Amino acid sequence: MNGKKRLICCKCQKELEMKKVDFSYLGHTFFTDLPSCPECGLVYISEELVKGRISEVEMQLEDK
Amino acid sequence: MTEEQILYKTQSVCPVCLKKIPARRVRIKNEVFIRKTCSLHGDFESIIWRGFSEFNDWIRETDNIPAESNNCPDGCGLCDDHLQETCCLLLNITERCNLNCSFCLADQCNDKEDIPFEEICTSLDKIIVKGKSLIQLSGGEPTMRKDLAEIIRYAKNAGAKYIQLNSNGVCLGEDADYVKTLADAGLSFVFMQFDGTEDKIFERLRNKPLLKIKQQAINNCAKHNIGVTLVPTLVRGVNLHNIGDIIRFAVSQSPKVRGVHFQPASYFGRIPRLPENKDRITPDELVFEIEKQSGGIIKASDLTPSSCYHSLCSFHGDFRAVENKIEALYKQRKTENNGCCSVPESEKNREFIGRRWQRPLLEHKAAGSCCGSKLDIDSFLRIIKQQSFTITAKFFQDAGNIDFSRLRKCSFHVYENEKYIPFCSYFLSAWK
Repeated sequence: MNGKKRLICCKCQKELEMKKVDFSYLGHTFFTDLPSCPECGLVYISEELVKGRISEVEMQLEDK
Repeated sequence: MTEEQILYKTQSVCPVCLKKIPARRVRIKNEVFIRKTCSLHGDFESIIWRGFSEFNDWIRETDNIPAESNNCPDGCGLCDDHLQETCCLLLNITERCNLNCSFCLADQCNDKEDIPFEEICTSLDKIIVKGKSLIQLSGGEPTMRKDLAEIIRYAKNAGAKYIQLNSNGVCLGEDADYVKTLADAGLSFVFMQFDGTEDKIFERLRNKPLLKIKQQAINNCAKHNIGVTLVPTLVRGVNLHNIGDIIRFAVSQSPKVRGVHFQPASYFGRIPRLPENKDRITPDELVFEIEKQSGGIIKASDLTPSSCYHSLCSFHGDFRAVENKIEALYKQRKTENNGCCSVPESEKNREFIGRRWQRPLLEHKAAGSCCGSKLDIDSFLRIIKQQSFTITAKFFQDAGNIDFSRLRKCSFHVYENEKYIPFCSYFLSAWK
């Protein structure tokens, strides 16, 4: 979470907490810490992460 | 000629007079040939598939390109009938060379004066698309030019994203400081001619032993973080048996060496003799040999045709190389493209080359192991980039087997006199 911003799960109304989240893509697995709802498990993936490192993983793993 | 099943009608040239003539791709049992007849010079045939695997399983629907074009091949530049944008652009900067090879696609000539530096800069200004272009500096042997570093620097400043040097590696091996000047100027990676792991192979193809200097070139490039891709010219009876050892050597040199790019001999430029069918190495045969000689570690299914070219022109495989071992990168393949805005194939191919052949900037031992253990995303990315290893192949066409339906989909172009010319069309030469 950035600065003083708090992320709240809209379903559970609980504040998201940083948690290790596993990713799997095309047979490869890795993890990163992400804000996650302690109640329902909903994970928040920021636009910055999607357009940055996740996009890079996609490019590295995908066939041309 | 024996009975044939016509698979596809296309166009080609007479190998003797280069007159444009109809041709047909035909199947005889499991083999596929291109056959054509010149009214003046008779019948010609060239094998393009030997039946090591099923031809129809390799060819794609997108390969069914009409060959009819009033512009092919003399109107190259690119003409309106061309079906593929430029992926990589080759610029010949010299015809001089410090070797005298029996196979030389450029038919090097030490008597010709080099193109003036200013003229090269003018060309670079015209061809470079800022932040996108992949420029291959080629020849002859580009390291013969004393101003090569200046040319690289100019191309970098003009906005070339990747600058590739096509070289025999002799000068790179002789002088590590020279490699530094090229690296500092902005060189991205080197495409180094490398025919095998035995000096007798170099003696037959290049007329001198070169293994030691090639290893030194790899090491000198490594000192300055310049990735090297090894490029064997494959000739039956000379180094076809050496494919497995070439791959194993390249893997042992990872991450200094980024991959192997096989180029079965094509018959244009300087050649020792005209080819017969038995000389040709087809895509299926090369895939078969790679699988066989790697002991099955590299599977035929790991090597697939490149979407940026006709299926018969090129294939590629993506791997990871670590601790002298190689494993396929793709544990699964993406089955469809769900993107709303698809990237042009030429751009995808260019970025594939840049990603794989350029050494990543920061290389330090990443946490975790290559297989099994989960890594955090940053370590995962670092490992994937560092351990990247490609096996690729290119099947150039010559007057014996050129097929205009393949030519129209070519994304590898040569720039000359303000024209972009498909590589095989540029180097097309009559058989004498």
